[in-house]
Amino acid sequence: MTNRRENAILAAPLVLFLLAILGFPTVLALVYGVSDTSFQTLTSPEFSGLANFRQVLADPTFWQAAWFSLRFGAITAVLQCALGLALAVYLAPLVRLHGWTVAILIIPMIVAPAMMGLMYRLVLHEFAGPLPHYLYQWLGWSPAFLSPAHVFKTVVVAETLQWTPFAFLLFLTAYQSIPEDLREAAAVDGTRPWRRFWTIELPLMLPTVWVALFIRFIDGFRVFDNIYTLVGAGPGGSTTSMSIYIYETFLRRGEIGKAMAAAILLFVTAFLALALAQRLTRKAAR
Amino acid sequence: MKPRMTLRWIVFAFAAFILNFPVIATLITAFKGAGEVSRNPSLWVQAPTLENFATVLTVSDRLNVYHYLWNSTVAALIGAVLPMLVAFPLAWAMVRRGVGRGVLFPLVVNLRALPLIIFAIPLYMMFSVAGLLDTRLGLGLILAIVNLPLALLLLVNAVAEIPAEIEEAAHMDGARTGRLLLRVVLPLCRPALITTFVFGFITAWNEFLFGLMLTTREAVPMTVGASFFFATSGGGVQWGLAAAVMVVAALPPLVLGLVMYRRITGSMVAGAVKG
Repeated sequence: MTNRRENAILAAPLVLFLLAILGFPTVLALVYGVSDTSFQTLTSPEFSGLANFRQVLADPTFWQAAWFSLRFGAITAVLQCALGLALAVYLAPLVRLHGWTVAILIIPMIVAPAMMGLMYRLVLHEFAGPLPHYLYQWLGWSPAFLSPAHVFKTVVVAETLQWTPFAFLLFLTAYQSIPEDLREAAAVDGTRPWRRFWTIELPLMLPTVWVALFIRFIDGFRVFDNIYTLVGAGPGGSTTSMSIYIYETFLRRGEIGKAMAAAILLFVTAFLALALAQRLTRKAAR
Repeated sequence: MKPRMTLRWIVFAFAAFILNFPVIATLITAFKGAGEVSRNPSLWVQAPTLENFATVLTVSDRLNVYHYLWNSTVAALIGAVLPMLVAFPLAWAMVRRGVGRGVLFPLVVNLRALPLIIFAIPLYMMFSVAGLLDTRLGLGLILAIVNLPLALLLLVNAVAEIPAEIEEAAHMDGARTGRLLLRVVLPLCRPALITTFVFGFITAWNEFLFGLMLTTREAVPMTVGASFFFATSGGGVQWGLAAAVMVVAALPPLVLGLVMYRRITGSMVAGAVKG
């Protein structure tokens, strides 16, 4: 009995904090999601049923944003994991001797994504940017990185270069935890390094590959900061991710109910995807 | 064996250069004078100068970098410490008594995977009513939510590693739960607390979306302030100054991160593997 009271007291700070900062807003979101509201009528929302949801689902920009986020998340996740895995496996012997090399490679992760977006503005700038400068000097030609034709590739590369270190770090840890005698046994059998990687090391690292792909996909899907500071919604809305779509609908256009409905749809989708992924990993573990 | 290692060094140097290219370019540009920036976009500075930093670090109508830095520091401190405070007692109760294992733990940990924008709008409404819009406290509270999942995860792991016998011995001596937590468990969790703090502070400092939405003047954090600088400089951005602003903005987390990189890498891996 005293234990139960004690447990309640121990859990109370976190539970109350969650309820206040997330519970209450969630209720608000549901209320405003089914109401007709603008910034002028903020305190007197008018019930409008599912009108907001219908509006969102009929909005081509919403679907464009959803497609952008899916594509962006999937492509960057695969690129980051491939690069990170290659780097981790190849550099592992170097890292074992010189641990500080890891610190150099993870610097991009410690820089705010928003700052990274701003830095790329400088790097890619027509006149002040070093990248176009050297491309002109060496090739006599430089693409317009932020034009409609290239902007998607540009943001994909920017995101990939910033977060490849994350994948690298996960794979490095996984690689280092492979028992040394497994490798030695393979070496005694005369297995070549390349073959050893595919038949022994990669299968052992496979769970980490799934985890890394999953995390990087989620982060890519919900991307906001770096794209927003680099190009905003992009030419013709071409880099509008789901997060940017909701932000613009809310603050730029003041369509509160619609933005909220989009947020609720995103929440439900993300929640279902998460539950599904966890069920799958649990099954795979068994 | 030797040439192989040399090749690895080359690959490392190449990767380090490409991955850090924006940071390197920004750092170099920050040392170019106003005239040189437009003439010389290369990675070589002809006449290195500190004038950009001098301008940035001087308070003017257009830019008060100390204001932004102070806002970021306060908000990031709240955002890093508060989650540890609320998560610590629960983490212990979870490990020793199974409290909240079924619902609360997965709920909190999964928060990490949700797009934050979902909560940004209702929080904006709530804050405007509660008078928390554009305050450092308001921003700090949100950053605490962002950091909560990893804080809980790391503290649960830390408590689980404490041998139960140590706590039992303290119980025998008649220590009550509150005293036990403060005198025995808390000191033993110190490494995890430091990691949680470092990681939380960096994450909070680097956050952008909530700063953009929930602050306008008084509590604008450094990341958002730096982006203002780009937007408000009219037609042409002064790249030397802009670069210096970014260097100042990125420096605090970078220094903290590089000094503590072992802890950060560890917690990142722990967070990923258990999540």
